[in-house]
Amino acid sequence: MSRPELTGHASNFYNEREARKYNSSSRMINVQREITLRAIELLLLPPDEASLVLDIGCGSGLSGEVLEEHGHVWVGCDVSRDMLQVAHERMEKSYKMKGDDDKTEAEIARMKYDDDDDSDDDDNNVCSTGDLMHHDMGTGLPFRPATFDACVSISALQWLCYSNSSAQIPKRRLIRFFSSLYSILKKSARAAVLISECATAVGFGGGIVVDYPNSAKAKKHYLVLSCDRVGGRGQVPGMTAAGAVADQKQSQVQVGKQRQEKDGRKARPIRKKKGVKTKEWIVHKKETQRKKGKEVRPDTKYTARRRPRKF
Amino acid sequence: MRLLTHNTMRNNSKEAKGMGFPFKITAAEVKVIDNPDAGATEERDIDFVKRMLPILEWTALVRAASECGISSLPHTLTTDLAESRPFLQALYHILMNVHLIKGMLTCPVTGREFPVTNGVPNMMLEEDECERVRL
Ligand SMILES: C[S@@+](CC[C@H](N)C(=O)[O-])C[C@H]1O[C@@H](n2cnc3c(N)ncnc32)[C@H](O)[C@@H]1O
Repeated sequence: MSRPELTGHASNFYNEREARKYNSSSRMINVQREITLRAIELLLLPPDEASLVLDIGCGSGLSGEVLEEHGHVWVGCDVSRDMLQVAHERMEKSYKMKGDDDKTEAEIARMKYDDDDDSDDDDNNVCSTGDLMHHDMGTGLPFRPATFDACVSISALQWLCYSNSSAQIPKRRLIRFFSSLYSILKKSARAAVLISECATAVGFGGGIVVDYPNSAKAKKHYLVLSCDRVGGRGQVPGMTAAGAVADQKQSQVQVGKQRQEKDGRKARPIRKKKGVKTKEWIVHKKETQRKKGKEVRPDTKYTARRRPRKF
Repeated sequence: MRLLTHNTMRNNSKEAKGMGFPFKITAAEVKVIDNPDAGATEERDIDFVKRMLPILEWTALVRAASECGISSLPHTLTTDLAESRPFLQALYHILMNVHLIKGMLTCPVTGREFPVTNGVPNMMLEEDECERVRL
């Protein structure tokens, strides 16, 4: 899997070319749609109500479009002006297409991605339920407290874990992001944030939902945060293929470790020299075993001590 | 940018100390989409406005609307109005269909300006404007 977030700033990576490419790859579209559907499911929004949803890193508006199909009103933020431009065009197009009632959804989808004409003729009644904003989530979200019913962020949070200049400290940006997120959500709201286990010391309840935990490729981590600390909408809707819910113990911000974790790859064992079982290594191994639910002796001051040599 | 969105926004720079609300609008271009099915607004939409009422800052909304050239909103929101269907329909229209396309948002505390172009407000802050986070 490529990791564009290692290559520099998001608005450089998601330039015009990349934005168009992103928007015309049907594989990408399907993947993003599917993830968004799952995220919406995890949000547990009342199905018959229109909610106000924040989409962070909305990109070309694929996730927003799914929100819209579910009848929600959304506000999308993104750092990439080019992605926002594509989102803008897409929103206008999809509205125009809605008039044609007797087209199947697939047909409409095809029309949307095929026709490449510039929608400069867009002066007529454009009325998507989305709204866009040029904004960097690492600077904290620019909203009043307790305004949104829910928040989604699909494949965007990983960008926060890397810094693009000496002034940007990932941990600082993450904390700013999460604490502002916590404040702008209404009580009992939920946030489904795809990817990255680096959450909160700011008061969220919730945890990580893993779909397809046994497949390296399909495995997806959803960080589900809820402001609702007293039960309520506390449950997680049906996980796919025997998923697992980790709880918020993991939620400390640990920037260094994120990469391997969010890939779902195994953490590299911490071992200095082959065959030498250092204390670190043993403690780590015990921790792993514990996570698997095995019974493990507690860590004490005797852990990994050498036995006195017998003469 | 919709008036609904405007009503939820604030300047979160450290200088504004959480008080950077509401943004003053200087409108250069406003687009009002006339609601083709006004009067037939769906139940879902009415419900939506009802649920938005408690989070709306009413005086800010009235100001913002008039800055966009719309002066039909009453200065106070009475409980009677909040129950009235025609009023809620009209309000839905103002929240959702009035778009600021080009203009400027000015923070009432710091005077920092955020330009709106193509309907998209630019809310980008420099790192040194952001709230300090102690690590
Ligand atoms: C993989 S795209 C996902 C787009 C969209 N959510 C979807 O489902 O298609 C990730 C997006 O995150 C945006 N992004 C990256 N860093 C960001 C930041 N610091 N603040 C806001 N958006 C950011 C990128 O510009 C990009 O559009």
